[in-house]
Amino acid sequence: MSNIVVCYKWVVDEADIRINSDMTVDTKRAKGKISDYDRNAIEAAVQSAKDLGMKPIGLTFGNSQTSQSLKDALSRGLEEVYFVKAGENDHIDGRTTAKVLAAAINKIGDVSVVICADGASDTYARQTASRIGAVLDLPVVTSIIDLKIEGNTLTAVRKMDDCFETVKVEMPVVISVIPEINTPTTPGLKAVMAAGKKKVIEFNAADLNVDLTPKSQVTDIKGYVMNRKNVILRDGEAADRVKELVVALRKEGVL
Amino acid sequence: MAGVYIYSDKTSLAAELITFVKQSGKSAAVLTFKPDDAEELASKGADKVYLCEGGSACAENYSKAVAAFLSAEEAEVLVVGSTARGRDFAARIAGYLDSSMASEVTALDFSNDGIRCERMMHGGAVIQKEILYGLSVVTMTAGKYDAGTGDCEIITIQLQADKRVNLVESHPIVKAGTDLRGATKVVCVGMGFDKEEDMKMAKDLAAILGAELGCTRGIAEERHWLPASQYIGISGANIKPQLYLSMGVSGQVQHIFGVRDAKVIVAIDRNEKAPIFRAADYGIIGDMYEIVPLLIEALK
Repeated sequence: MSNIVVCYKWVVDEADIRINSDMTVDTKRAKGKISDYDRNAIEAAVQSAKDLGMKPIGLTFGNSQTSQSLKDALSRGLEEVYFVKAGENDHIDGRTTAKVLAAAINKIGDVSVVICADGASDTYARQTASRIGAVLDLPVVTSIIDLKIEGNTLTAVRKMDDCFETVKVEMPVVISVIPEINTPTTPGLKAVMAAGKKKVIEFNAADLNVDLTPKSQVTDIKGYVMNRKNVILRDGEAADRVKELVVALRKEGVL
Repeated sequence: MAGVYIYSDKTSLAAELITFVKQSGKSAAVLTFKPDDAEELASKGADKVYLCEGGSACAENYSKAVAAFLSAEEAEVLVVGSTARGRDFAARIAGYLDSSMASEVTALDFSNDGIRCERMMHGGAVIQKEILYGLSVVTMTAGKYDAGTGDCEIITIQLQADKRVNLVESHPIVKAGTDLRGATKVVCVGMGFDKEEDMKMAKDLAAILGAELGCTRGIAEERHWLPASQYIGISGANIKPQLYLSMGVSGQVQHIFGVRDAKVIVAIDRNEKAPIFRAADYGIIGDMYEIVPLLIEALK
């Protein structure tokens, strides 16, 4: 097994999302980016591959916008990127994504480790690694803060809610890493230039023969805005405004 | 039995989920992998507790077997408490079942045409509503329901565990700092601070208020001025204080997500366009280096 596959996602940059006055969500002006935590996953894949003499391969599934991610991903040290293109009417959710990625991993073949981030910065559903493992019936280790691979054994420290757990597993294995695991290297000019010469393999999700019939349906999307009092003290002497605030907070009963 | 199945590696969270399910008019069967937990959970108002035995300490290793069990029992939905272990367990089962899964739902309705749920997206900026069809999996976070009472039987079942991942050792996370989740008042520092020493005024204010000190993600993860347990946000602490008072915090959605349940939100910042002011009950636009000392004086 000589390949390390890291799955990443092209997401809308949440900083660019606008909520209209009628609470509808406007993503038209939003730029895309590789999901923040995927950069940590890619870094982990590239480092592990370097240490073990394996090939770090990127894998992503998405619509045509995702093609904007390929150079960025390759500039981070990956040798190749596989881009599985979603069909126009493909229903993309956690379930269908994991099935497509699992089928693509089988197609790539010779995979020792599949690395995912814990969650994507847009949905943050935190399902993908576990789902891929189940679909492939491979062992899974999630929430990894430290990783060591020696021979055929992967040793990981998992950060759970109240404790750290150290586990050992024989490869092949599917893992998810949390952002604390490393600091992603910012690609320098040399890496960006090299990206242009690296291989991109594209194919259609339909070619993978995965059943993508939806088992869920999104019924509404709206902006979340809190109804707060918005009493903003901007004018007058600082000392007076502070006094006004204290009076208000005493009235609220929170002092 | 058919109906709703529940699991959490935290018994207190499992108890909350039992209450939620029973309040929704559904039957609640609880899965557990530890005999002590079974005893405890059998008094929390569930209809049945299944104690699953298979020789592994970790719930997630039973995912394939649990998936088969839920299918055989014609379960309607699996509700799992959202913890690191719970999320892994839930998603693997969803994978084996080829079922839909909604993570950390903020609302859940068992309707005739499917499971209707809501969850936050894009760091907390957007609410998405969806329907899940067929046997589905959802996870829920803690802090919304009280534990109930009522005794039920414990049924022991044998399930096969996946033995490929071996737990070598485990030790508790020594949490530096305080648990903000129980705090009634929180003073929060943000990236508007120039120097670490400047946080003293925040600490002084917290002392006078009887408040805990929290921060935004950058203060903990990038500047390392406070331990990770002190940062408030979607991937950090979600708090429910009576009073949250921030200084030098711009108010990005991911941070606001962590304080959305606060009774009163107060913000002090020099930038009148900072998003925090839209999320605040009260705000003072000004230089916090001037405002905060005045506030400390006014409270003495």
